[in-house]
Amino acid sequence: MKFLVRRLLLTIPILFLVSVLTFSLIHMIPGDPARVILGQEATPEAYEALRKELGLDKPIVVQYVSWVGNVVQGDLGLSITDRVPVTELIAQRLPATIQLTIGTFIVAILIAFPAGILAAVRRGTMVDYTSTFVALGGMSIPSFWLAMMAIIYFSVELGWLPASGYVPFSVDPVQNIMAMILPCLATGLRESAVLMRMLRSSLLEVVNMDFVRTAKAKGLNEVRTILGHVLRNAMIPVVTTSGLMIAGLLGGLVITETIFSIPGFGRLIVESVFKRDYVTVQGAILISASLVVIVNLIVDLLYAVIDPRIKAGKGA
Amino acid sequence: MFSQKFRKTLSALMIGSMLAVTACGGGSNQASQAGTADQKAEAQAPAGKKVVNIGLKADPPSLDPSKSNALVDRQVQNSIYDKLFDLDKDGNIVPVLVDSYDISEDGLTYTFKLKQGIKFHDGTDFNAEAVRFNIERNREDTSRRKNEMKFVEQVNVLDASTVEVKLSQAFAPFISILTDRSGMMVSPEAVQKHGDDYLNNPVGTGAYQFVKHVKGDHVTLKKNENYWNGEVKIDEINYKVFSNGTAAVQNLRSGQLDFVDEVPTKEIPTIEKDPNLTVIAEAGMAYQGIYLNTKQEPFTNKYIRQAISKAIDRDAFIKVVFDGYASPANSPFYPGNLAYGDSDKVEKGTPEEIKELLAKGGKPDGFSFKLQIGTSPVQEQFGAVVQSMLKPHGINVELEKVEFGTLLENGSSHKFQALQLGWSGRPDPDQSFYDFVVTGQPNNYSGISNPELDELANLARVELDPAKRKELYDKAMAISHDESQYVYIYHEFTRFGISNKIIGFEYVPDGLIRTAKLDKQ
Repeated sequence: MKFLVRRLLLTIPILFLVSVLTFSLIHMIPGDPARVILGQEATPEAYEALRKELGLDKPIVVQYVSWVGNVVQGDLGLSITDRVPVTELIAQRLPATIQLTIGTFIVAILIAFPAGILAAVRRGTMVDYTSTFVALGGMSIPSFWLAMMAIIYFSVELGWLPASGYVPFSVDPVQNIMAMILPCLATGLRESAVLMRMLRSSLLEVVNMDFVRTAKAKGLNEVRTILGHVLRNAMIPVVTTSGLMIAGLLGGLVITETIFSIPGFGRLIVESVFKRDYVTVQGAILISASLVVIVNLIVDLLYAVIDPRIKAGKGA
Repeated sequence: MFSQKFRKTLSALMIGSMLAVTACGGGSNQASQAGTADQKAEAQAPAGKKVVNIGLKADPPSLDPSKSNALVDRQVQNSIYDKLFDLDKDGNIVPVLVDSYDISEDGLTYTFKLKQGIKFHDGTDFNAEAVRFNIERNREDTSRRKNEMKFVEQVNVLDASTVEVKLSQAFAPFISILTDRSGMMVSPEAVQKHGDDYLNNPVGTGAYQFVKHVKGDHVTLKKNENYWNGEVKIDEINYKVFSNGTAAVQNLRSGQLDFVDEVPTKEIPTIEKDPNLTVIAEAGMAYQGIYLNTKQEPFTNKYIRQAISKAIDRDAFIKVVFDGYASPANSPFYPGNLAYGDSDKVEKGTPEEIKELLAKGGKPDGFSFKLQIGTSPVQEQFGAVVQSMLKPHGINVELEKVEFGTLLENGSSHKFQALQLGWSGRPDPDQSFYDFVVTGQPNNYSGISNPELDELANLARVELDPAKRKELYDKAMAISHDESQYVYIYHEFTRFGISNKIIGFEYVPDGLIRTAKLDKQ
């Protein structure tokens, strides 16, 4: 409990640093939102009027302080370009990305676990080589290409699955799941490769340890040895990788979101950067950072569950 | 003990995963039973409901005509709003909300007699007061239309259906401007009700009324049951954002989309081969080219600028970058425009000519310069082709890739040597010329200042006789070519991909999709 409180308190300086960094970085990029909003039809008067309207004429420190002041009160501000609350934009976009992340993770686990275990157990055989080959292939194939091929094959040629058409789960669960299958497969396949490689090497390390020999000597068969003893001890690096993977996916699915036309969180951030929508970028990155902090916390707690020798907050 | 618990967890996980897979499998079986994805897309709509899905390359930033600056905004706005005037399929100006109109001989007073009995989607009346409100609104400082409306001095309501607009000087493009956003009539009541948030709650008199806009994803409109200009046959229109053109085309093929607003040229053969789809690739109003900064070395010298213009082989450029789906340009005037003519003809220079120009400009051995260019694949190709075309003449091009926002910023603050940016074009030649070449105008990124050019551009916007205007533009273009402050390279083609299920589509040269008369099989 003490650990949890300490970790939660630690997030405050982290998020503060993130906010300062995001704020400075986005304001450092050349190009100004008023210019982007006005485009090629800007007169100097309209430009000045808009800068004033958006509060961009104030000193940068004043802009930061007033933004942080609102954030502390739970108000992430109004999007510069869309004139809607940033919290509303994030609430619209985050569910799709969370769903996509979970789906991707499930696909990755479903492929990585059997393949990783088999490759480790049948080390040096055709099974190992084949799964290693496929995994390396999966890591090397760009996800946009895989996504495009999946669309051409499953949507255009076979007509089994829609190429786009995301609707929130609450609106139409069937259509939602249908629209999510291809994107989850396309990203999941790639992510599974990373997990599978990690699992394989971690298993190989554990498999040669003394307690495994003891287990075997005790008369346990191979399946029970692997699933009951080896796997659990090999899980720490896999959980770490999974945590990093999930944290990365939450903000980094922008290519998949673009190709499958999913209104996700990653796209929101990228689009807002291009539009120089400072307020949305700042709000979205702050939320994204909070999510990463939460995922990392969960990973730390999982360490203790997997390996009781690790006392939360000490061993990890 | 732990290992047993762990085994249980693991088994639970496995079983859960299996269930998930079965669920997914079940899903795909369902889909295959439903038949093609095409049928599936239709099955999503209630029986008999006609839905048209249009793919747009970007999310429309503003549905408020007064606050809008993106081409993609206009695609959606054209369905929500009627305009005072519009263009027909041949590019001629036709009255829409205006019944008849009169222009005083001195070109200073416009009297519009409006059609009667038309209502906004919110039930309020469209009348002379509404027109006055809209024009006044477009004149405000915060309006993006201010520049187009700058000669409007006074708007008088003569009676419920007659408006008089007085200009401070004759301005030939005025009616043509009213075929675009300045002519879109928004509901005054909705503006008063929503204030700054009007852009998220647009209300017009058009064939479709606004339902919702999920930012970055889609805009949904529904049929205006009481549309004044004939029955609307489509029940719902969804504008969906597809920033990746290839993905949009695949969605068109699989039936998720009925319409794609910009087909990548590489995908045109794919669509042409598909018996269910049609491509429309027609010359639009847009042009692209390169600004040369006349205030920065080496482009302070006009011979050097001319050398660049002469060295670019437009035909080869179009073949390489657009597979032929564009036309060579040497002026901002699109084919079909009143000012279009010989001034658009391109003569590629011979190596000797270019050498001579470079010598005259004091750079006989060539030189290097930096070209700022956008980040899209087409722009990257653009840069590479220009680079290779100038190299044989000893001119080295260093490419600097920058985002759109930065391009605009650097352009208007003249922080560049050469910069690639074009213009989406407007029906009236003035709107693609004046602001770009006259001293001190906002889009005069090149910083060109030629009193003769200024005078001609000013005369051309005041002159009302089209034949005389053309003469003025011809003379102005001759000066512009001599100055070569901008290297015009090509006129863009509008490239629509359309499902054959769509009936009644007519292409209008401004490249905007008119939806009022559409139907779907």
